[in-house]
Amino acid sequence: MKTTEQLTDSMFYIMSALTKPRHGYAIMSLIEERTDGAITIGPASMYTIIKKLLKHEWIYLYDDSDPRRKTYLLTEKGKDVLKADVSLRKVMIQLAEIGLKEAEE
Amino acid sequence: MKQTKYVLSGGLAFAEEKDMKQLRKLSNDGWHVSGFKFMGYTLKKGESADYIYSVDYRSLKDMEAEEYFEFFASSGWTHISSEGSIHLFRALPGTKPIYSDRETTAEKHVNSIKSMRWLVISMVFLTVFACLGALISTGTLQMVFNILAVVFLIVAIPASWTLIATYSNKWTAEGRKGLVTVVKALPIVFLLFVVLIIFQVFESISYSVSILAAMLIGGIVAPMIIWVIMSLYIRVRGNN
Repeated sequence: MKTTEQLTDSMFYIMSALTKPRHGYAIMSLIEERTDGAITIGPASMYTIIKKLLKHEWIYLYDDSDPRRKTYLLTEKGKDVLKADVSLRKVMIQLAEIGLKEAEE
Repeated sequence: MKQTKYVLSGGLAFAEEKDMKQLRKLSNDGWHVSGFKFMGYTLKKGESADYIYSVDYRSLKDMEAEEYFEFFASSGWTHISSEGSIHLFRALPGTKPIYSDRETTAEKHVNSIKSMRWLVISMVFLTVFACLGALISTGTLQMVFNILAVVFLIVAIPASWTLIATYSNKWTAEGRKGLVTVVKALPIVFLLFVVLIIFQVFESISYSVSILAAMLIGGIVAPMIIWVIMSLYIRVRGNN
């Protein structure tokens, strides 16, 4: 599957946290925890992106029994988009690493 | 000693950051904002505290509000008040900002653009329509069109100005400096235009041009007069 646009960094983080059903606060704290606080997401950014990912059908509403803590999960389509983006980002890292190594020689 | 007071807003589209800084300063003085009121905020007297403030623009359906406010609460932002699609929050200094990237910060302004775009477009359209009507009609009908044009223009000018300011906020967030500079130059261009029209009035070129000039001046001056009266009124009352 080909994606037309690259994910923004924040979309990438949030999708990476939605490989399991999680609610907003859980997503925010997971990202912070797994990156040792290097990456944080503000609540307004979070809400904007959740709405956008739902619209793209890259995530879906998994459970809304608690309206304050609705949980979301990646769709198959979303998983493919995330995988494609991961490969692209790997290429990006490789590009920079080769360049930096070259500079050291 | 009064327990509540009112401060004037600089207009969120024009001076959001300045407003938020002022609210922080007032909190340091022991005056905490409790809600929105016509063209400003109401404040309540309390203990002095250092709080930071943020606003977000979003129209929420009934089912969405709880989750939206929960996101903020769990990030340390206390919801203070909402007015339509404008939501005001407070937090302790050091709390992470409500927007954490450039893309969504730009979209914040898209939300408020969406909510006013149609109002502005229809007001401008109505103004043009009334002006055209005034130009091609005569007698009583022309009079009616003239009055309508003035009324529409008085709404259309501040409304378009606000919309332009919001676009400028969006472009600032996106880092499009060129466009922001263009917007900043607009008032000067506009002023030149008005001066040009006034000049033409003295040359008394045509009746409709002078009407147009009067309308333009009215459209700018009327909101400004309201603004000045409001600030004077508040200053005088605040001193008592």
